[in-house]
Amino acid sequence: MRRRAVIAGTGAVAAGVAAVGLWRFTGLFRRYAPTPYDDLLSQLDDRDRAALLGRHAVDMADARMTAQELRTRIGKGSLAKAAFDDVQAGRMSEVDGWILPRSVAQMATLAAHA
Amino acid sequence: MSAFIDARTLPSGTAQTPDLAIIGGGPAGIALAMALADTRLKILLLESGGMNFDPAVQKMYAGQQTGYEPLDGDRLRYLGGGTNHWGGWCRPMDESDFEARDWVPSSGWPFGRAALEPYFPRAQSLVEAGVWTYDQGGNALAASHGPMLQVGKGGIYTTWFQFSKMRGDVLPTQFGHRYAQDLRAQANLTVWLNANVTGIRLAPNAASVDHLDVATLGPSGGAGKQFTIRPRYTVLACGGIENARLLLVSNDVMKPGIGNRADLVGRYFADNPIPRDVATMVVFSGTLAPYYANNRDMGHGTILRAAFTPSDAWRRQARVGGSLTTVEQPVTLDDVGKAAVATTAAALGVDASGARAWSLGCGLELIPDPERRVRLSLETDALGLPRVKLANTISDEDFARYRTTLAELGRQLLASKAGMLRINCTTREEWMKNMDWGHHHLGTTRMHDDPRRGVVDANAMVHGVPNLYVAGSSIFPSYGASNPTMNLIALTLRLADHLKTVMA
Repeated sequence: MRRRAVIAGTGAVAAGVAAVGLWRFTGLFRRYAPTPYDDLLSQLDDRDRAALLGRHAVDMADARMTAQELRTRIGKGSLAKAAFDDVQAGRMSEVDGWILPRSVAQMATLAAHA
Repeated sequence: MSAFIDARTLPSGTAQTPDLAIIGGGPAGIALAMALADTRLKILLLESGGMNFDPAVQKMYAGQQTGYEPLDGDRLRYLGGGTNHWGGWCRPMDESDFEARDWVPSSGWPFGRAALEPYFPRAQSLVEAGVWTYDQGGNALAASHGPMLQVGKGGIYTTWFQFSKMRGDVLPTQFGHRYAQDLRAQANLTVWLNANVTGIRLAPNAASVDHLDVATLGPSGGAGKQFTIRPRYTVLACGGIENARLLLVSNDVMKPGIGNRADLVGRYFADNPIPRDVATMVVFSGTLAPYYANNRDMGHGTILRAAFTPSDAWRRQARVGGSLTTVEQPVTLDDVGKAAVATTAAALGVDASGARAWSLGCGLELIPDPERRVRLSLETDALGLPRVKLANTISDEDFARYRTTLAELGRQLLASKAGMLRINCTTREEWMKNMDWGHHHLGTTRMHDDPRRGVVDANAMVHGVPNLYVAGSSIFPSYGASNPTMNLIALTLRLADHLKTVMA
């Protein structure tokens, strides 16, 4: 009985540590407060990293207008397509010196302000 | 068999009457002398130094400067001149380097690159940079030594440097040592070492060179022996600073200095600035062929290194200057950089799990600026010649234009899904923080058909003085970003052909 309890307890602790680790380092199980831009932000693989980048954007326009522009650009397509189209069309933004597709920069900026 | 004569051993007052006097034994002077080997011209080459470095001679280069580096540190005053410490980087100038560009004030040569094409092969041979490869064959040759980074379609393309031979630990071709035997074997040539030209003396009507004053450095530091040379023709080939200095100090007949009626001698000085760590380039795959960050021996004497440069067409369209961006060393990204890579790569659907980053540096073309200038100071050297006072600057516009080029490179890397780029410099302080210089002294005796806009004409003749010519990069009216040595040698070989005609 006692041995079983120790094994069960150890297992529970390990599972907890793993869950916290996954939450902390992969974003799995992460839950964010709802924002008006969740339809867009859901296209990001790693919202925390995008937010870290977005915090260095210096020319943040009104977030709602940015989101509206992004929705128009992305439409029913994907961020991947919008980003590639931006690059082809020369619609580039600079964030902390990084040359980015405008849609990626806008997405990062929204993540930072969400 | 010619002779190398130490002028200090000659009796004072020795006179010579060569057909041609070449002042300066650097790459231009040596290339010119050798190119005239097959003529009947009696040539005297006057070199200020000896065969090796001498601190007392070198000290005559000292002067004042602002915005630059010590003037006795970035040149070498002995046979071979600048090739005694050059890095061996070679690349022909681009077609647009020669064009009058309306977004580059005072730009434009009197002729296009086509005028130099016939002389490039011989110039390439003299600098011993292997088979002419560059952009004609660089991609194909490099591809057999590792995959090229795909930079995508756009204004920037991969270009190639070649290198003066570096065999093991042997430095690039040093013209003095490399060609000493050839010069000695040249029957129509005499080389005077330790012979300093202290004045170019015009005839009273200022229409021709009458004679040259020459002096040696005395054992106690002042003037030693003195000589008079009366050549039919003279070519000044002392480098971009000394060419201007000698014309300015020779002011006994033409008070502003020879060729300086339009107040252009010494103006428009330029170098190729080499700011380091200007950008960070991330390669998503993490692999970069070795010919990007290092010179790579491709066999058969051809050493290549890749660089990124704006095409002629895009330079015209985007109104940028010449630049050559090179990969320097691997760097580690900070957290924001990692976030930028992860976010962008994920958005583009690219695996960047093995991404690596490299620092980028560059060589830049400066916009011609008349206020960047060589003048004479009140101080004098051991022979009594006024020393030089150099004012050097870089405009914010020079940096802004290069920033446009870097942004285009960044866009293209994303377009090809090969990588991405961060521009590391925004403020002037950031650009200047890691600034090196190419020690390419350009522009101070600029070439233009109009005597109001140039010191020399398209044949490198000093306007109004038909028996005086200038050789070297001081006659470049606009500069490009390519290293000048191989180009100035081609230009000098062209001058040699011209002299064969006019002196025949």
